[in-house]
Amino acid sequence: MLNFRFSKHLFFLLALSFPFVISAEPSFDDGKKVFKNYCGTCHNKSMLARSTGPALYGAEERWADYPREDLYKWIRNSQALIAEGHPRAVELWNEWNSVMNPFPQLTDDDIENVLFYIRDVVENPPVVVNGGPTTNETESKGLGDWVYWALLFALGFLVLILGRIISNLNKIAAAKEGSFAESKTLTQLLTSKGAIMFLIFAGVILGGYTTVNNSVNLGRQQGYAPEQPIKFSHEIHAGIHKIDCQYCHDGARRSKHAVIPATNTCMNCHRAITSGTTHGTAEITKIFASAGFDPNTNKYIDNPESVPMDTLAAIYKKWIGDQYLFKNELEELDNEGENIVETQWADIVSSLTNDQKKSIVGPIEWERIHNLPDHVYFNHSQHVAVGGVECESCHGKMEEMEVAEQYAPLSMGWCINCHRETDVQFDGNEYYESYAKYHEELKEGDRKSVKVSDIGGLECQKCHY
Amino acid sequence: MKQNNIWIGEKDLTGDKEFIQESQNEFNGLTIEKAELAAENHQSNRRDFLKFLGFGLSAATVAAGCDIPVKRALPYVVKPDSIVPGVATYYASSYVSGGDFCPILVKTREGRPIKIEGNSLATMTGGGTSARAQASVLSLYDTNRYTGPMMAGESGFDMAEWDAVDKAITDKLKSARNIRLVTNTILSPTDRRAIEEFKASYPNTKVVTYDPVSAGALLKANELTFGQRVVPNYRFDRAKVIVSFDADFLGTWISPVEYTAQYSRNRVIKDAKNPSMSRHFQVESRMSLTGSNADNRILVKPSEQGAAIAYLAGKIVGGSGPAFNNPEAKKALDKVASQLSANRGSSLVVSASNNIHEQILVNAINNALGNIGTTVDFSNASMQRQGSESELASLASELNGGLVDVVIFNNCNPVYEYGGGAALKEALSKQGVFKIALGYAPSETNNLCNAVAPINHTLESWGDAEPKKGTISMIQPTIRPLFNTRQMGLTLLNWAGKNPGGDQPYLNFLKGAWRSGAFANQSQYVGFEGFWDKILHDGIYEAGGGSAAPSFNADVASSMSRVSKPSGSELEISFFEQVSIGNGEHANNPWLQEMPDPVTRTDWGNYLAVPVGFNGVNRFEGFNGLKDGDLVTLKVGEKEMTVPVIQQFGQMPGTVALALGYGRENTGLSANGIGVNVNDCVSLDDNGLTQYYNTNVEVSGKIGTEKHFSCVQYHHTYGVTATKEDGTEFNADEQALAYAYGGSGYQGALTDRSVVYNTNLKDLPESLKVMNDKREFAEHLNEATLYPFDEYTEGKYSQGHHWGMHVDLNACTGCGACTVACMAENNIPVVGKREVSRHHEMTWLRIDRYFYGDLTNPNTIYQPMMCQHCDNAPCENVCPVNATNHSSEGLNQMAYNRCVGTRYCANNCPFKVRRFNWLDYNTADIFPANQVPINGEEKPHGADNLTRMVLNPDVTVRSRGVIEKCSFCVQRLQEGKLLAKKEGRKLDDMDVRTACQTACPTGAITFGDRNNKGGELYEKFKSPMNFIALEETNVRSSVMYTMKVNNRDESIEA
Repeated sequence: MLNFRFSKHLFFLLALSFPFVISAEPSFDDGKKVFKNYCGTCHNKSMLARSTGPALYGAEERWADYPREDLYKWIRNSQALIAEGHPRAVELWNEWNSVMNPFPQLTDDDIENVLFYIRDVVENPPVVVNGGPTTNETESKGLGDWVYWALLFALGFLVLILGRIISNLNKIAAAKEGSFAESKTLTQLLTSKGAIMFLIFAGVILGGYTTVNNSVNLGRQQGYAPEQPIKFSHEIHAGIHKIDCQYCHDGARRSKHAVIPATNTCMNCHRAITSGTTHGTAEITKIFASAGFDPNTNKYIDNPESVPMDTLAAIYKKWIGDQYLFKNELEELDNEGENIVETQWADIVSSLTNDQKKSIVGPIEWERIHNLPDHVYFNHSQHVAVGGVECESCHGKMEEMEVAEQYAPLSMGWCINCHRETDVQFDGNEYYESYAKYHEELKEGDRKSVKVSDIGGLECQKCHY
Repeated sequence: MKQNNIWIGEKDLTGDKEFIQESQNEFNGLTIEKAELAAENHQSNRRDFLKFLGFGLSAATVAAGCDIPVKRALPYVVKPDSIVPGVATYYASSYVSGGDFCPILVKTREGRPIKIEGNSLATMTGGGTSARAQASVLSLYDTNRYTGPMMAGESGFDMAEWDAVDKAITDKLKSARNIRLVTNTILSPTDRRAIEEFKASYPNTKVVTYDPVSAGALLKANELTFGQRVVPNYRFDRAKVIVSFDADFLGTWISPVEYTAQYSRNRVIKDAKNPSMSRHFQVESRMSLTGSNADNRILVKPSEQGAAIAYLAGKIVGGSGPAFNNPEAKKALDKVASQLSANRGSSLVVSASNNIHEQILVNAINNALGNIGTTVDFSNASMQRQGSESELASLASELNGGLVDVVIFNNCNPVYEYGGGAALKEALSKQGVFKIALGYAPSETNNLCNAVAPINHTLESWGDAEPKKGTISMIQPTIRPLFNTRQMGLTLLNWAGKNPGGDQPYLNFLKGAWRSGAFANQSQYVGFEGFWDKILHDGIYEAGGGSAAPSFNADVASSMSRVSKPSGSELEISFFEQVSIGNGEHANNPWLQEMPDPVTRTDWGNYLAVPVGFNGVNRFEGFNGLKDGDLVTLKVGEKEMTVPVIQQFGQMPGTVALALGYGRENTGLSANGIGVNVNDCVSLDDNGLTQYYNTNVEVSGKIGTEKHFSCVQYHHTYGVTATKEDGTEFNADEQALAYAYGGSGYQGALTDRSVVYNTNLKDLPESLKVMNDKREFAEHLNEATLYPFDEYTEGKYSQGHHWGMHVDLNACTGCGACTVACMAENNIPVVGKREVSRHHEMTWLRIDRYFYGDLTNPNTIYQPMMCQHCDNAPCENVCPVNATNHSSEGLNQMAYNRCVGTRYCANNCPFKVRRFNWLDYNTADIFPANQVPINGEEKPHGADNLTRMVLNPDVTVRSRGVIEKCSFCVQRLQEGKLLAKKEGRKLDDMDVRTACQTACPTGAITFGDRNNKGGELYEKFKSPMNFIALEETNVRSSVMYTMKVNNRDESIEA
């Protein structure tokens, strides 16, 4: 009987939860992707300001009077809905009088995701996390801290009680002996030798702890995400367009350096893709300038280092202006257009030149994010080609980073930890046959795996020489 | 006599108190008394403590508050396909300096040449290199280089444009009546072709060729007797008996890398049970590198060389020369003659004499012995010496006669190098002589010129070199010219109006020459480009030459009477070229300046080698009572100089010796004012040929003491025994322990230390038995411990790698290529003369020199000594911070950033191979007070960004206050392992080769994995001739040496 009832409850519970399982909750991350991919070019990402298109926040409410499918239809192909004479569609057309691109490829889920994202961006503005340890660590640390505080509190409480008991006992003892112990005032207590000593002691301990901690962290740059001369987005390239990391960072599999790609690697694609998702011509023109490529004629400039800056300015300003005209279907540059041309050109010059480098042509001076000290030898190919370590293990989810940042602390403890935990790829690599004993132990089952530390991965001269 | 009969020098033999005291202290120059005195004068009190505390805190705060500097990363715009940043690229090329030649591979990183390796495809050298070839990469980054064309102005040179300089020069050339092009030997057939083109445009041009150290008589004698003005292709590997009259063929003479490789082939004992080796007699007065390797040295004075050659010739071909009053040498030469005669066709007599008739007699001897065509081969004859300084004499007289208007100096320095340099200088400074320097850096000659047309470094040039007939080695640029320079051939073509044009004009010219030359004469390749790619890749083209053995034709009797006559002078001086800096051509290379001479072990200067006198009991007297480091006045002819003295065993009584190549003026920072110039002390004979000795010489008594005596012989010694005044022997190191243990001494094991073992060929089996008994005893001692090594390391090295090294002391000639290679590979700093004199040299690899045998004419052992990577290392367990510890692969690791500089490890190292950065030699920190200039420059060596380009990016540059030492080139091991892992195959011997190993011309050093059963090292470790240095100390070193064997003819008294 009891069993039966229990199972009935269970069934009920299962039945309740079922719908949630099949239709997944709208995802913020997926919505963000859709927005970036399709909507972001015309709609302001704050969702509250107007751009080429209207502010998107509150769209659901504005369409609340009509079936949800109508909103889907509108997003997929607005012109069709206007042609149908849908009242809300016609109302919008009259207000804006501009054509929204059709997006027939979007699924209902995509649209729900993006609507959720739009709502969420405004209602739950993201908390800016400045570097810091990964979420997992924070959580576990948080729990640990809580326990510590509770313990500290309990201990303090105990001390207080014991103190009271002792003082009372003393008083009783004193009373018994006939003398009367004067109870001390708070001021007296606080200025007593013991209290001052304790304070000094605590101060030294705390100060020392902070000093040591800070010194240990000197020179570490976890979370370092400097502004780069080109606002290159890993999110767009690696995330949305799924370009393999090693397409650009081709040193990773064969050299110690992963290598920042040469400008001509960028040009492989950007000769065709001349305008960017987020910044239009503003950033991609910098690639052209670095490579000495004239996008107007689709040709490389002869000996671009020796071309005077004025000529280069003319070439790239024309390009930016033409793109603006084309985008806005204008014949002549309006004020805004001229403004855009000047700002973008000024940005190109300031990003690509400095005291030493006078020409915009030539290597792009990126700000180096991952800096190891000079006495550390690190080899990408050892980890990527031999160890099969995923880029993500050390660099985090680059495909989600609009601005690249240092994910790992790159501290020695962090390296060592990984060397302790990572298995060596023994299988199929004849090199490791020299470790005959380990092979035997693996075969016999005496050993589950060979960690990097087992073959000397913790020794000084594996990285320091 | 001494125990083991081995000593390191005079101080060791005589038990010099100061030296014994010094050898007890690892760190010389900072005695305890001094430190205590300093402490007394600087009493710290509580206030000071608070001050330091306050400073420390605020410094820490400031440091913490500093922003981390922004670092930039600059990718390529268009990445060259051949470059992967972080991966080295190798190019085949050649090392060429005048007639000196070595086929090489150039290692470049991100487009910067950083290291020279030997080209193993070249049969000539088999991949060996010399110290000079190794150091040539540093001269590319010489801060004294010419950076662009210049014209002489009123006060010195003014920078100019190429167009202007070219125009000024061509104007002069066009109006000139006579043009002279002065050059050292030109090995490049293409450069010679460019000169021909130049001569076609300016037919009044004559080429004047000379060599910095002359082989003019050798060439002339061969022309007279064999009809070929060449150096024959000597085959030391085919000779069972080698007799060398003063020819330093292992060090400096003609083609030392090639000869060393050949020579060692017959010096290595391949089978200990059935041993055989060649016998080598050296007839000389000073101890040369070659002489120190010889089995018997026969001492004759420099002026007696002619008589000695004539005496030997008399024994072999008949006839008699001048009176020869050296009964000992005569007796010895009698025996030499009989041994030569017993080895007809497999013996070889060479001489460095610069007297034509002496060379004719040498040819006559070789001819009579049937050596022509076997050991003296005229097919593939060497082209490495082509000059004769007698041409310089005619140039001077032409200039004085006002016949010559324009003189072009092609990267040569006759004003300094030539014996008649002063007269030449005077003739050059006559009115109306326009002098052009095709120069690399300022020199005594270039500074006189009116125009400077700077040339490229070899590593920036296109070209080729023909060291032997039928062997051509390529030269290809490994970097763009760093400065506004142009290579010699192209400049001449330009002036001739025949610039072939194009992006790389000289490449076009070179290709054109090859297309019509070697390509036309071969049939293997149909297309030129395929042929070209192949030779560029291999770096060497060996077509083989071949001409019939020439017939000998000479008037021996006349030559007998015309050899140089013994002078009868009480004292004679010989002048010689040093292994390191040559005749000053490489004086501006700090690596070579700091490389100790293999024999005298001095660097940064030339030291007068004086003989060591023996009083018959146990006292040694230097010549004139002189000791190491004493200053004397040396008077040669009219010239007086103040020179420091080095006592040299094996220096013939009645002779002294001094090196050429020093005392340079206004050249480069590390050459200026180092040592004295003795090029003007040589004499010229009737044929205008330089005689590198002088009989009119006086040496004064001690007039002072050299301030910075930079001889490393008594630095970092170990296992030293000495004799007390009462004649008893004791171990100098043990004496130190005896103090600590109340004078009772320590374990008996240390008294009879095994440092080196040596024997004579005929005693080999017996000596092996003695050695192996000692080794067994050592093993027994080592087992008598509570912690038996085998027990507690069981299984530790049984899998993976266990690195080890084997050094064959019979192959090692002490040439020093490995020491320079080590400096280049491991970013070892140059410290300069003062620091060397304070025992602060930083070399990780040193070559210890030991003497044994006869006291006045000893034999020599060279023992390359580097960190032995002891598996039971005494340095490791004294480090308080665990900065030095042991790896699972048997490496003794050194973590610089963990080191706090207590130097306990260096104190505890029995081999004394650990080096401490006393000062900021690499200019790694920001405090100028810690930096040390090497020769009075404003900036220390290595502080310049140009010099820093030579640094190996894979090796940490050490800062002040840390210990460093040989790492077995761990960066190469890691690279080799990674390559094998990436290719998914077993590690091969070729993957892991240390810098010293690849540099060695004889293959004396073998490195490898002891666990690799099929490897070369595994085989070598099995040899019964092996020993381990200081085996009885139970340090379990990873380096094995072979017993040194000589083939001394014991019947010849030394």
